[in-house]
Amino acid sequence: MTIGRCGTGFVLGIMLAGSATAAAPPTRETPEVSGDDHVSVELISEHMTLTPGQSQQLGLLLHHEAHWHTYWINPGDSGLPTTLAWALPEGFKAADIAWPLPKRFDVGGLYNFGYEGEAVLPIALSVPADAKPGSTAHLSVDAKWLVCREECIPGKKTLTLDLPVIATTDAAKPDGRWTMQFAHARLAEPQASAWKGATRADGDRIAVTLTGPGLPEKAEGLDAFVEERKFVDNKPPAIRKDGEALVVEFAKSEYFTTPPESYDLVVTQPAAAGVRGWRIQVPFAATAAP
Amino acid sequence: MTFRLVLLAAALTVAVPAIAKPVVGQPAPDFSVTDAAGKTQSLSAYKGKTVVLEWNNPECPFVRKHYGAENMQSQQAAATKDGVVWLTVNSGAQGKQGHLDPTSAVAYIDKVGGKESAYLLDADGKVGHAYDAKTTPHMYVIDKDGVLRYMGGIDSIASTDVDDIPKATQYVTQALGELAAGKPVSVSSSEPYGCSVKYGS
Repeated sequence: MTIGRCGTGFVLGIMLAGSATAAAPPTRETPEVSGDDHVSVELISEHMTLTPGQSQQLGLLLHHEAHWHTYWINPGDSGLPTTLAWALPEGFKAADIAWPLPKRFDVGGLYNFGYEGEAVLPIALSVPADAKPGSTAHLSVDAKWLVCREECIPGKKTLTLDLPVIATTDAAKPDGRWTMQFAHARLAEPQASAWKGATRADGDRIAVTLTGPGLPEKAEGLDAFVEERKFVDNKPPAIRKDGEALVVEFAKSEYFTTPPESYDLVVTQPAAAGVRGWRIQVPFAATAAP
Repeated sequence: MTFRLVLLAAALTVAVPAIAKPVVGQPAPDFSVTDAAGKTQSLSAYKGKTVVLEWNNPECPFVRKHYGAENMQSQQAAATKDGVVWLTVNSGAQGKQGHLDPTSAVAYIDKVGGKESAYLLDADGKVGHAYDAKTTPHMYVIDKDGVLRYMGGIDSIASTDVDDIPKATQYVTQALGELAAGKPVSVSSSEPYGCSVKYGS
């Protein structure tokens, strides 16, 4: 599919993609991302082997052309989350994508949540205990995504990996090509928090008060996202400290209809290694409904 | 004091309806904008008729999904045959993807076989902002009294796959049918899905 695009923007995109390549880790060649795809998509495995009875990490490795992005589980005002449909040998099971911390994109006053540059969408693969050592498992997935700058292009690809099953007594063999990618994926994973969340819905505002150990000391630079759709508006929330507590105040979504019993809040903070963040399930008491 | 402020805010909202976000069950914002034929179109001119607003960007894959499968055109044809006014709106700013001038808009309607009543050229985004239109497509159904009865997606499956259309609930068709039968609209809002509307700054 070809989509009309702005000539100068495209050339600039290529130039920026070039400079990003220079800064990439030297472990391997960063694939060229250009032409009509705007994102390259690969299925990767942390290990070159499969161990019966283990849960192992797979990843969908995304290389976005500069200025292009794909989406989080909640894409925001527009867009679509990336989806995976697996075809696996009997007994193998792939978990849902463990969505990494999203970034907020301002697209002309509308907001989207997702990923740019290099990103890995991690997937836990359970290898059945009765997988036969010496056999090869054929892992296949139909990936569908939407990649956007301002304009959007849908993409799909069937990705496969053939990995040997080893005996439980053998040592699993890490795949050195992806060490860095999986290390980055772990940093981009929302951490579980021991915080407590309380929600107050007041007219067209939804305010979350977080309390507990290890809360960020300052509100500056923080951002917050809700996984569920039709709940909060996609504009950046107002975040402030209230004593020890952290208060995140969203505008209510215009498409809010039924209050959820609980929702998943992700808080992000700029860190030395890009960004770090936390995930917390917050109850939405029925009595708090407007 | 707070109460007075609330009253003042309420008074302002009524006085300047364009600033308020559209709310289902409330009067839909009026507008005045030129269509592809050079004619001025306003919502108030259609009092007594049911009106559908459809946000459009010819190059958006979600729009192409519904036009490529003739889903949009057949809904337009069915609605206008029943006396509904169907206004397709393009809020793409000049220089942005999907922006159309009058000549290219006429060519586009011809090419896709559009059956809308009029194609509105809203390059300054006034109508789009008044309705808080976010995506293409983004749909609104307004009843004969000018009250907003539906806003949201064209259907229930957010995807760019043509194959999903027959499996999805077509919310606009459903709302129009219920309104014509004098019934309340069962699904009066859904989260719209699609490309972002390409507003200017």
